[in-house]
Amino acid sequence: MKHLLPLVFVFAFLSTLHAQQRAVTGRVTSAEDGTPLIGVTVLIKGKSVGAITDLDGKYQINLAPQDEALIFSFVGYLSQEIPVNNRPVINVALEEDIKTLTEVVITGYQTKEKKNITGSIVSVATEKFAEMPLMGVDQALQGQASGVQVVQSSGTPGGGIMVRIRGNSSISGSNRPLFILDGIPIEDGALSSRSFGGQQDNALATLNPNDIQSIEVLKDASAKAMYGSRAANGVVVITTKRGSTDKTKINFRMQAGMIEPVDKLDLLNSTELLDLFQEAVVNQNPENNPEIAGVKGVTDLVNTDWIDAVSRTAYLQEYQLSAQGGSNMTKFYVSGSYRDEEGVIHNNQFTRFTGTATLDHNASEKLRFGLNLSAARTLNKRIKGDNFLDGVYSGALQSLPWFSPYDEGGGLIAPGDVGYAGFPNFNPLAQAIEPRFDTHTTKLVAGIFAEYEPLSNLVFKTKFSIDDNQVQEDQFEPSTTAIGGFLESVGGQGYGIYSTSEFATLMNTTTAAYNYSINKDHQLSFLAGFEMLQRTSRSSNVQGILFPSDDFTYLTSAGLVFSGSSFKVNSGLVSFFSEVNYRLKDKYLFTLNARYDGSSRFGRDKRYGFFPAFSLGWRVSEEPFLQNNRIIEELKLRASFGYTGNERIGNFQFLEAWASSTAYNNLPTVVPVNLANTELQWESTAELNVGFDLSLYQGRLSVTTDVYHMETSKLLFGVTLPLTTGFGSIQGNIGKVTNRGIELGINARVIETPLTWDLNLNVSVNRNKVKEMATDEPIFSGYQTSTNSTHIVTPGQALGTFWGLKFLGVDPATGDAIYDDFNNDGQITEEDGQIIGNAQPDFAGGLTSTFNFKGLDLTVFFQYSYGNQIINFTNSNLLNSGQSIETNQVRKALDRWQKPGDITDVPRYELDNTFNNRFSSRFVEDASYLRLKTLTLGYTLPKGFVDRYKLSNARIYVSASNLFTLSDYSGVDPEVNTFDGSTASQGMDFFTLPPVKMLLVGINIGL
Amino acid sequence: MKNVFTLFRQFTIQLPLIGALLCGNFACEESVLEPKPVDRITDDLVLKDVGSAFNVVNGLYRNFANLSAINIIAGDMSADNLRHNGTFTQYIEIGTFNMSASNGSASALWGTMYGMMFTVNFLIEGLPQLDDIPESLLNEFLATARFFRAYGYFAGVNTYGDLPLVTSTDVEANSEIPRTPANEVLQFVEEDLLFALNKLPTDPDNSGMLSNGAVKALLARYYLYRQDWTKAEQYASEIINGQNTANYNLESNFVDVLSDFSDESILEVVYSANDNPGTSTNFGLNNLFESRREIIPRNEIIFELQSNGGSRSQMIEFDAALAVGNDNGWTVTRYGPFDNVQVIRLAEIYLIRAEARAQQNKLQGGLSDLNRIRNRAGVPALNLDNKNRLLTAIEEERRVELAFEGHRWYDLKRTNRDDAVMSAVTSNWTVKNKLWPVPQREISNNPALAGDQNPGY
Repeated sequence: MKHLLPLVFVFAFLSTLHAQQRAVTGRVTSAEDGTPLIGVTVLIKGKSVGAITDLDGKYQINLAPQDEALIFSFVGYLSQEIPVNNRPVINVALEEDIKTLTEVVITGYQTKEKKNITGSIVSVATEKFAEMPLMGVDQALQGQASGVQVVQSSGTPGGGIMVRIRGNSSISGSNRPLFILDGIPIEDGALSSRSFGGQQDNALATLNPNDIQSIEVLKDASAKAMYGSRAANGVVVITTKRGSTDKTKINFRMQAGMIEPVDKLDLLNSTELLDLFQEAVVNQNPENNPEIAGVKGVTDLVNTDWIDAVSRTAYLQEYQLSAQGGSNMTKFYVSGSYRDEEGVIHNNQFTRFTGTATLDHNASEKLRFGLNLSAARTLNKRIKGDNFLDGVYSGALQSLPWFSPYDEGGGLIAPGDVGYAGFPNFNPLAQAIEPRFDTHTTKLVAGIFAEYEPLSNLVFKTKFSIDDNQVQEDQFEPSTTAIGGFLESVGGQGYGIYSTSEFATLMNTTTAAYNYSINKDHQLSFLAGFEMLQRTSRSSNVQGILFPSDDFTYLTSAGLVFSGSSFKVNSGLVSFFSEVNYRLKDKYLFTLNARYDGSSRFGRDKRYGFFPAFSLGWRVSEEPFLQNNRIIEELKLRASFGYTGNERIGNFQFLEAWASSTAYNNLPTVVPVNLANTELQWESTAELNVGFDLSLYQGRLSVTTDVYHMETSKLLFGVTLPLTTGFGSIQGNIGKVTNRGIELGINARVIETPLTWDLNLNVSVNRNKVKEMATDEPIFSGYQTSTNSTHIVTPGQALGTFWGLKFLGVDPATGDAIYDDFNNDGQITEEDGQIIGNAQPDFAGGLTSTFNFKGLDLTVFFQYSYGNQIINFTNSNLLNSGQSIETNQVRKALDRWQKPGDITDVPRYELDNTFNNRFSSRFVEDASYLRLKTLTLGYTLPKGFVDRYKLSNARIYVSASNLFTLSDYSGVDPEVNTFDGSTASQGMDFFTLPPVKMLLVGINIGL
Repeated sequence: MKNVFTLFRQFTIQLPLIGALLCGNFACEESVLEPKPVDRITDDLVLKDVGSAFNVVNGLYRNFANLSAINIIAGDMSADNLRHNGTFTQYIEIGTFNMSASNGSASALWGTMYGMMFTVNFLIEGLPQLDDIPESLLNEFLATARFFRAYGYFAGVNTYGDLPLVTSTDVEANSEIPRTPANEVLQFVEEDLLFALNKLPTDPDNSGMLSNGAVKALLARYYLYRQDWTKAEQYASEIINGQNTANYNLESNFVDVLSDFSDESILEVVYSANDNPGTSTNFGLNNLFESRREIIPRNEIIFELQSNGGSRSQMIEFDAALAVGNDNGWTVTRYGPFDNVQVIRLAEIYLIRAEARAQQNKLQGGLSDLNRIRNRAGVPALNLDNKNRLLTAIEEERRVELAFEGHRWYDLKRTNRDDAVMSAVTSNWTVKNKLWPVPQREISNNPALAGDQNPGY
């Protein structure tokens, strides 16, 4: 027995022990989709003892009696503390950490934690746009970021897109923001040198948006000052996806869909139009013969719907295969994609191949290097449009319905054939199908960098980058087209052009960064850098005519090569920049930054500019009085003030200059082209910004608001000179423009479980005003009208202000237009021009609503703009009161005045009468709209299912864009602009192809 | 701050590797910040020696070329020879005698004329400063410049009336310059022409270049407009007789007049395929008249050419398929795609002398000059012994012989026949149609022109 005692003792002890210890088991899953979370740390509160979840998300842990709670934590998820309360099983669903304030933000030269940022920066992450059928990265910003206005100029694939950050600050310089891709400024506007009647191409369409990790928009002076002389219009910092230390993930995505015009303009048919024309002819002079000669017989047979004739249902397909992964030593991302998007106009197509690779390697603890490489090749099969007499869509809107695209044999009717419409309508379908307008673009963005860290808080980095764009335009218009055949003085027997251009930016950036902490309370960081940039553009073109036949379409067969050129221009920047950050107790944040730029675009005396900014942040939520507040997670107040500049005015504007002109009588000639202004210098923008970032309820509701006031002075300006000087204008620095605004961004998780509902709303309000100009005389722009021009720039008004006669109605007695006699002189003359509208919205933004339920998700994205107006200049031709009878008319023409007593707003039709068709507020319309921009319904296959096929994820979705638009605009769509990218001449619809609607299916599969 | 760059350069020189990376690849500050333009040169280089002066002088012919085409629009379309047939507001306004001060053609002619004045004045100021220029060449260059100044102001004063008389390149002064009465401008024109007289070659390479004949011809035209009949006759006779001019002869076939460098051409604007009239904005006449048919002949001139034109009716053609609506189906076909534009030719000189002689009651001489032109066109000779009837016949002859060469409106105005003739053509004819408007942008931007618009605008 004496041997038993210890045993009993041991048992007794064990049973005591057993009585005091409790085993708890459970399973940890993701709150979002219920999948098990592997590797979650389960800690006993107050101890360093814990467990880790297994492959099924399960854990087991033994607790002492005094242990009250378990803490579950996992990277990327919100930690949870759960009281045990004697339960043997505790299952937990962890929520993803959506606290935005702990994100990092790439500011261009640095990466910072968002909580330490004192400037105004808005980030758009890849998830926001991954499933939208975007052509370019600029479209990704549309409706997603407050303070950013994005307008797609037309429905042409790969076409121009206007991006504005906080309004327009420049009148004649560019207002496009600076686009930085992985550290280098990239081409952002049109690359093609050939005009297509307002239908420009877009350099940003050469990049695949799905290779992009994030887009940061730098809005205030503090955020922008590091880009100095180029930053006044805001900066868009784009970062390519990079590798990770995880196991390699392979991802395949595809999209396929169909595209149609959003809507169609309602035009008259042959009978209606002929009646109208005959009325116009007789109204001109009752003795006129109302027979429209040579047409009557045709009319009975032909009634062509020209819009249908030139348009089609188009198709889109896109495929991308990418791999992302790495180790502690090396990280990589590689991706290839193919996209083929047809335009809704016949023969219009944009095809793109892209390849992207990024690499980061740690050679040692102190030395790192890496690269980024993006290459793309695009083929843009273009068509002429808008303000081109031989444009396709514009031609279809104007063409008379009694002409036909095909002859009886089914061939396209060409110049010289019976039934060819001739000038000015031609055969729009032939204008689409017959010419070859191929723009081939090759783009390469590459960068290599090395980083050396001699001390743990000192980093040197140098990076060499290039953005190279090669454009080749291969064009031929055969004798079956207007230029190649009908207009003998131009082409006659074919017209060919071949042009090449290259835009290359070479850059080196070298920085040194140093962090220093005196103690926990005082943290300092410094950055200093040097940058040298050189942009070269080279171009050449040849043009030829008199081809033996349409079988010969290249210039090698041209009978006469009559025009050719080659050209080169360089520009450059040499810059220093520096930033100092100081954090006091992690609560009070100070940033001082500045850039010193030298630019080749200005004369020796005014070449250098200094652009400083200062900003403050106060993290109120870190103060003791808010420490225990359960509602406020994070509150930061921010304020900044600083200066930025704009140098985008073209080269050599400061030089007086003479240029070679066409030889006269085989003798070379020079002619004056520019007056000198050696004092020419940067536009300077001073900007004050105050804002706050607020995050409530563990980040379920976050609000960011900014208020700003920008004043741009020394505007780069072509000051109008009287022509008696021999010149039309001289470049100067005169005038001021202000932009004031409020921006609001709200993110909310409205419902958490089991259905999650996230809401994202942004609103931007901007008030633009021209404060001062060179003289009191206004500047006119846009199209010429009887009162000068459609647009005016004048002090006290915003840019994009419309100018013309004020239309008061139609005189019921005479049927003539009544205009406001503004100067009360008893007659309507050009002196009666007045302000009749504005293209600037009162407010604009986007609303995204996302619902998730067990793997099903629905995203609804609305985009809106309120209070902006548009000039329906199309109607100056298509509702022209009989000024000419060469174009079709819109259905509203049937409402015209016909006899005394008629009450209508459409004046009577009289041939050659220009008075009733003078440009007036009759053509100005409200362009406010609410658009269901995209609607996406997706299904993510359950984890268990995809595991069975050894996939990491699988997802299928359908997406529709531009499904409907609420708008009062009588044209097809209010979101167009003929003057793609213009500042002074905004809000102009002149035969512009409207946006398109798309319906597509997408699949993402991850291995 | 250049010191910073100096420091930086020293720094990079001491650290050859960084220096090579930064400056080797990009070259350094100067080349980055001071690139040279490849397509333009500055004022100090454009006129630095005789060789460079040739290019600037030749540049004047470009202005001259641009001016000639729009001058034709003004001369024929502001009267009863041409009308609009398209949708372009500027032509509709001219064609309906309803021009506005912002009319594009009005500012194009004005701007082209003053663009030419800048180069003329630049040459007049700069040429005498050249060290290496021989006296004779200096005189020839100055004569060229002053001829073009006279040509420009003469066209301008006939189109706009009183004109700002710009005689220097001073941008500030020329921004605030008031109008000078037409009479004084015309005296200035006379001085320039008389300066140019006998300083230019008599027989240049072709009639696309200025010659002494061209100076005399413009003098003859000038004195005709000034109603100085003796001098008009004198200069016309000197040309016809070849006194210190080339030997000009009337072509026997009118069609040959329309080809480049005909025997009777005294001055013409040379076009070549390089000028690409279809796409250039400077009023390619073939494009306006034929390809686009923005502008077509009026019924009045069609009738005249049909009944009284003889071989000159070949300047227009009819196509029934085009006669739709308001379009009469007629096209001015005299300007082929790259054809030169006749500015002064011998037929005009004969008609100038005919008119000058008739005014001096030298009816026989006048009639014989007139009949030379009629004979060539294949229309019967006239036999008139009444001064007024002869003058009327000369007016009609000028209309058909010089149709679409930019004379009609100016002829009607100088003979004070405009109201009588044009009122019968259109009810829109008022006092305002006697002059084109001073472009609105000039009134707006030049304080000295504020309120100084032509009557009716």
